[in-house]
This record gives sequence, structure tokens and C-alpha cells, in this order.
Amino acid sequence: MNANSKDLSAGLLFIAIAALFAFQTRDLDMGTPLRLGPGAFPLLLAGVLALLGLIIVLQAFRNPVTHSMTIPWRGIVLIVLAPIVFGLTVRGLGLVASIALVVLISAYASRRMHLKLATLLTIGLTLFCVLVFSIGLGLPLRLVGSWLRGLG
Amino acid sequence: MIKRLLGLLAGVVLVGTFASPIAQAQDYPNDTINIVVPFSAGGPTDTVTRLVAESMSKTLGQQIIVENVGGAGGTLGAARVAKAEPDGYTLLLYHIGMATTATLYRKLPYDPKTAFAPVGLVTEVPMVMIARKDFPPNNLQELVTYVKENKDTVTYANAGVGAASHLCGMLFMQAIETPLTTVPYKGTGPALTDLLGGQVDFMCDQTTNTTGQIKAGEVKAYGVFADQRVEALPDLPTIKEGGLEGLSFGIWHGLYAPAGTPDEVVNKLSEALKVALADPNVIKRFAELGTEPVPADQATPEALKAKVASEIDRWKPVIETAGEYAD
Amino acid sequence: MELLLNLGLGFETALTPVNIVYCFIGVLLGTLIGVLPGIGPTATIAMLLPITLALSPVTSLIMLAGIYYGAQYGGSTTAILVNLPGESSSAVTAIDGYQMARQGQAGPALAAAALGSFFAGTVATLILAVLAPPLTGLALKFGPAEYFSLMFLGLITSVALAHGSVVKALAMVVLGLLLGLVGTDIYTGTPRFTFDFIELADGINFVAVAVGVFGIAEILRNLENEHDRDVTVKHVSNLMPTRHDLRKIAGPVMRGTVLGSLLGVLPGGGHILASFAAYTMEKRISKTPERFGKGAIEGVAAPESANNAGAQTSFIPMLTLGIPSNPVMALMIGAMIIQGITPGPNVVTDEAALFWGLIVSMWIGNLLLVVLNLPLIGLWVRLLKVPYFILFPAILAFSAIGIYSINSNAFDLFAVAVFGVLGYALVKCECEPAPLLLGFVLGPMLEEHLRRAMIISRGDPTVFFTRPLSLALLIIAAAVLILVLMPNVAKKREQVFVEED
Repeated sequence: MNANSKDLSAGLLFIAIAALFAFQTRDLDMGTPLRLGPGAFPLLLAGVLALLGLIIVLQAFRNPVTHSMTIPWRGIVLIVLAPIVFGLTVRGLGLVASIALVVLISAYASRRMHLKLATLLTIGLTLFCVLVFSIGLGLPLRLVGSWLRGLG
Repeated sequence: MIKRLLGLLAGVVLVGTFASPIAQAQDYPNDTINIVVPFSAGGPTDTVTRLVAESMSKTLGQQIIVENVGGAGGTLGAARVAKAEPDGYTLLLYHIGMATTATLYRKLPYDPKTAFAPVGLVTEVPMVMIARKDFPPNNLQELVTYVKENKDTVTYANAGVGAASHLCGMLFMQAIETPLTTVPYKGTGPALTDLLGGQVDFMCDQTTNTTGQIKAGEVKAYGVFADQRVEALPDLPTIKEGGLEGLSFGIWHGLYAPAGTPDEVVNKLSEALKVALADPNVIKRFAELGTEPVPADQATPEALKAKVASEIDRWKPVIETAGEYAD
Repeated sequence: MELLLNLGLGFETALTPVNIVYCFIGVLLGTLIGVLPGIGPTATIAMLLPITLALSPVTSLIMLAGIYYGAQYGGSTTAILVNLPGESSSAVTAIDGYQMARQGQAGPALAAAALGSFFAGTVATLILAVLAPPLTGLALKFGPAEYFSLMFLGLITSVALAHGSVVKALAMVVLGLLLGLVGTDIYTGTPRFTFDFIELADGINFVAVAVGVFGIAEILRNLENEHDRDVTVKHVSNLMPTRHDLRKIAGPVMRGTVLGSLLGVLPGGGHILASFAAYTMEKRISKTPERFGKGAIEGVAAPESANNAGAQTSFIPMLTLGIPSNPVMALMIGAMIIQGITPGPNVVTDEAALFWGLIVSMWIGNLLLVVLNLPLIGLWVRLLKVPYFILFPAILAFSAIGIYSINSNAFDLFAVAVFGVLGYALVKCECEPAPLLLGFVLGPMLEEHLRRAMIISRGDPTVFFTRPLSLALLIIAAAVLILVLMPNVAKKREQVFVEED
């Protein structure tokens, strides 16, 4: 059977998320009409979401189109990695090294990136961030983190 | 390509590495000090911290940065400091929550009694009982009688599980032995809005938030939960004067360092705190907030340690009787 | 007469050189942090609070207020240029503004936002001066039942936001509502959907969700076919709106201003609905609703005016009742307390110079914003010519710092990564992120008011229909729903949908 692949995946995604939330409400109290419990409203919403997902899935079969998808895997991995690395290192390495890592990692998400540009971009943006956020706005972030203290 | 990337990474890490002095207790402080406030900026605890930090910074000769690490009733920020390096450069200013979360949260990632090196008490902000303008009772005795007679229709607002207003409500209901319908809010701001709009009947809040409305006659006030009347509201009787014993409690604030911080450092901080609490400017601002600094003998590690222990013991049965937990 | 005297006092206060300078610093700083994605007015004002201790109370409040509405303004610049709304209100501006920018119309879009904001700011300041006391009374009439009905209306109207399938838009709203419920239940203290992460106890960070579903998803979409085309706009046809454009935005600006001023007064999220409601209204009454979502200038002018008007009137509950209507107002109250002013009903009388000076300074600040930003449009637009592979590492770096600065919590950055992937998956399935964001903001409030209304009414669900204000709002919601579902409207929508495929 043919189906609109975008609608089908959207519908299934919604149903899956609804199921996840509904499953999580199993330990929550539903309460009484006077004092609705913590589980009542989420379960209602999960039900509505599953229903909407189902409608989207059914609609997908009415209008069968297959879409070709280009997925930028390298981009996804690197772009998603950048904020995670920042979160993991900002306290330890400090703002300077951590922001340089973010810029460097995300820069390589583009296929057009090359070493010279990446280096320039990293130095330039790191400098800019330190000037604006740390010196200009006075964000309470240490420039050099605890991992690097006492080294060298 | 990957190799180059790795090379660059290594370079960046090396560039970021330069020497910094290792903290020594004798020459403390020689670097910026961070005080973590485990609540969002602008709240009463934040205000208290910033006022005290301003003065302590002058005494210690170092910049003090106030860092707001909000979340989970203050326990996220407290957990951060509990795990921090015990070098005196990361401190915590936390309120009564230090003692109540010990019971409210059954899975706390630190032990409030042992994870910190107390520096000293800072201030104690009293609570007041207020009601909507047109609520019938006019004084505390009338309130108790009225509430008992109308226990099915009266509504008590609080600012969410674990909030001071919640503790106050539990204490009051247990004292008059009458459970009431409570309406929780997200913070005292919206609760106060609904009180002014007459949607709910009465609540407790810190003098800090309510003095303006009480003075303007926008809300009725029944009493302050303190041993003496507060300076900002001289006409308001204490709850004790109104006939309810043993209810006095306030939102006390304490300054903490992580456990294991050298005694010299803790003492230096405590001395700086005492200076701050004697600072006329701090006293003046505190008075405007409806509070005052604790006496100098309270701004000590011993006093705060005793306070934490006694408050944990005080609230444990209250919270357990009510059976309301935050996790 | 009294009003003139009061305004005179206000001008006297606001026009002292020191106050003008700090007003300017405020709006400049506000614009700057508004333009930088991720870092918002809340964090900035929080950081500047200690500095304001050195200033007089009036001057410090004038500067902080300037940061607030300056940031609102700067935030729309980023929304228009790189599709990255820093807060829920500019999420709407991003819909049509970004499309305009892609078509080389970034200049007129930015100008429409600037002029609309200025007009709205002027009117709202007047409203603030004239109507503060009576409007405050109206805000207090809003109990939980009214709030629930208002939010419900907001959600129903938000469906019209989407230019794709209605069902998908509804599903995105519901998904947003569900995500908004993550965190500790305030009624019982029960953690919900936190998967034992204590960091989730206060819910998912709004900026993390916004940066994830808008920013990261947009970057990924642009990375899909880098080699085929350059994603940045090379040609920018004109910087200023044409006479025709101006005529087109006059109506939307006025309607947006009225709607925004009214909704802004409501404490507890009224101003969030303002830009969404204004956008929906314009789309509803437009003769060419199919242009919305594809770069309609009305779709930029109306929500921007509403947003700015709402930001201005949200000072009303703060100044007259001492009640914060949003986190920024909570900070302003903190600033007053630090300055030794007790916020509350007596500020208007006891601190007349401060009250009126602040109001007048807002108008001056809005004027400064226009003066500051109209010449800057050329500069902002030039930002679009920066190659994308340079721009997006910058966006990521600023967002990362901004998000971390809110709670100093690494967890929020992991949330960005998760929501980036989710947002990209949804965009690939042709589901738009704007309704999700609205649901996310309203979810907790909707539930809170529903449950509170039930407690206060002792479990009687008819309370939503017996209170007149609540009933009126529900009737409007029903009317909107019927409009959306009516056959000819539905057909029109379908045509739009088909055209898009």
C-alpha cells in the first residue's frame, strides 16, 4: 500500500510520543473532579495526541506521495554534538576553550569548511564571545576552568 | 580531515591552558568568589544575597559574583555547592529550605547536615497571615473561629509544595486542628494576585512581599509569625498576641561553604559576614524589606549549624504529619 | 488636567540628561542582547541588578525597562533574519518575517517591525498613563476560570497560525502542551515525565526548546543541500518599505496595538498570547490569507505591534499592584526592593515622579529605538550576506552561552540537542514548530488554571459557563472553531495546502 511518507512518519511519531507519555502516567494519581490529580490532564492530552496521530496516518493513505529525503548526517552529528560538548566542558575547561570547541565542531558541519577558515573562525568568534559576554555583559563564567588550573 | 580536527582540538586545549595560582588558605581570597543563590534572580533570597555580597566584597577585597542556579526548591543549587571544590570560592546562600528539603525530598543528592561547612546566619524574615480585603474576620481569634466554622468553603492559597507559605499553612492547620482546602500557585506573586482579586481567601507570605499591600489596605493582615512585632508594621500584632502559641517562624537565610573548607577560610568569611551585617546601608535596606540582620553572635558557623539541626527536627514531624512531599 | 500635570512631571523626570543617557544605554544594550540569540532580558537584567545600586531608583528602573523593551525589539530582528526567536512572542514574527528575508525583503520586514513597534509603544504608553487604574481592576476580575477560557481561546486561534494541515497543527499544539507539563506538579509535588532527572524538576527550559526546534532544526535544514544553492540571500531589493507597504501595515499595526494593550494587562501570560492572537486575527480578516506564512508584511507588523504594546502594558500590574506579570517584571520588582521602594498600590502616589518618569521614559525609549534601528537596518541586512557556514557556528556559540547563563546548568544544553533532533524530524514531516512553542508555554498554565478553577468551585465544571467573562471567551473560541471547520473556509484552507505541495 502506498502512503504519503511525510504524513505517515509524522502520524507515527505523534502516536509514539503519545504512547510514551501515556505509559509514564501509569504511576500518577488521576484524582477526583474536585482535586484533579497530576495524571489526569496529561493522560487526556496523550489520548488527544494519539487520536490526532491516527487521523494523520489515515490521511497519509489518501494522498500517496513518496518523498526523497536528503539527510545531512554529518551535520546532524556535529551540530548536536556542539551544545553537548559545551555543556560538558564549560565548567571544566572554562569559557575560552569550551567556546572554541563549539565553534570548531560546528564549523565542520558544513562541507565547505577547510582548516584555514576553521582556525580563523574559531579564533575570531572565541575572541568576540569573550569580549561581549564575559567583559561586556559580565556573565559569571570563568574564562579558564578548574581542569586547567594549576597546569602548566 | 579528522586528524586535522583532532590536531586543532589539542591546540585549542593547549592555548587555553595557562598557569593560575593554587588557592592557599593563608592568602585567601585571591580570586573572584561565587555565591550560588539556588533561586531565580529578583526573589527575596536573591535580594538578600546581593546586598550582603556587596558589603562582603569590600571587606574581602575580591569581587563576589552572585550566580542564580534555580530549580527543585533550591536543591539543585545546593547540590552544586555540595559537590564544589572546598576552597572557599564557591559559596551558597540558602534559606529555610536547607532544613525543610531534608524531609520534603526523600531522595536528596546530599545530606544537609554534613555536606556543608556553615558560615553563619544572615537574616530571618518573618511571615504574615493576610486575607482578601473583604474577608469577614477582623483579627486572629475571629479568623480561627470563622475558619473552623466554614472549613468547607474557605480556601487557603500557597506558593507550591515546600514553599514558606505551604509550611506556614501546614503549621496553622495543625495548630487549629482543621484541615482546609488549599489552592497551590506557582510562586507567591500569582497567589497574591488571586488574593487581591478575591479568588482565594487567605494565605501567608513574607513581610518582604506584603508590607506594601498591607500598608495600602489592599489586604487584611492578622498577625506576624514572630516573637516581636516588626519595625515596618508596628500596628500588626504577633500571632502569639493573637492567642496562638509556638507558631513563630521566619524564613531564615544562611551562608554555607562546601564541607571540608579549611577553618581559616570559614572564619574569614564569617568575620566578613559580621561586618556586612553591621553595615548601616545593609541594615537600612533590610529594614525596608521588613527584616533585620541577625545579631553578630548568630552570624557564626556554630549558630548556623545549630539552627540547621534544630529546624530539620522541627519540620520533620510537621511535614510527615501532613504527608506532603516534593518528590 | 491631572493627567497633563502628571505627564509634565514625567517629562521633567525623564528628560534629565542622566536619565536620557541611561535610557539610551538600556535600549542599546537591550537591542544588542535581543539580537544575540539565546541570551534574553531576564538574564541581562539579573546581571545588571547589582550595578543599578549605584544609580538613583528612577534612573535604574528607566534603564532596566529600556533593556526589556529593547530586547523585545532586538529579538524580532533575529527572528526575521535567521528564524531564531528568542522568546515565544517573536516566534510568530519569524513565520512571515523569515520568509520575507529569504525573498530579499528583510529591509521592509525590519522596518515594518520598527515602525509598528514604535506606534504600538506610543499608544500603549498613553494607555498606561490614562487607564492604569481601571485596567488593573479588570485584570483582578480574571479568576482561574477566566484564565482557562482565555488560554483555551488562544490555543484554538493558534491553529490558524499553521499554513499546512490543521490536524498536524493541532497535534503540534498538543505535543507542546504535553512537553510543557514535564516537571514537578505544583499541586502535589509529584514529578512528572522527568525520568528521574532532578534537572527536569522545574520543567524543560523554554529557550532550550526554542533554540532546538527553531534554531538547530533550521541549521540542519540548510545543511541538507549546501552544494545545490547558497542559503543566504545575496540580493536585497530594498531597505525601506514602499508607500504601498506602509498602507498595507497601517490597519494591522492599529489592530495589533489594541489587542496587545488589552492582553498585556493580564498578569500571568496575557502578553504571550498577544502576538499569536494578532497574527491570527490578521490572517482571518485578510482577503488573501494564503499569503500568510509565505512572507506577508501584515504578518510581521501585527504581531510586532501587539508584542510591543503588550510588553508596555504588562507594567500596569507591576506598577499599580506590585504583582509581576512575567519573570522580567519580577526582576523589576526586585530592583525596586533593592532601591528601597516597596512595590504596591502606593507607588503611584508615594513615588509619583518615579511612576510618571518611568512611563514617559518608555515613550522616549521607543523613540530612541526607532532612531537607533532605522539606520541600523542596512547593517542587520548585511548580516544576511555573511556566508551561512560562518553564521551558524556563531549562532551556536551565542546560543550555547546564552542558554548556559540562564541557570548555569549543562542539562539545558543537552535539552537543546534533543529538541534539535526532534524539531528537525518534525520539520521533515512538514509539521511547523510555532504551534508547538505556544502549547509549550500555555500547557502548564492551562492545567494550573483548570485544576485551580475546579478546586475553588468545589469540583463543579459548570463554573466555566456561569461566570460571564469566561463564558464570553468560550463563545468566541467556539465561533473561531466553527469558522475553521466551516466547509468553505476549510476548502479555502485546502486550496492553500495544495498550492504549497
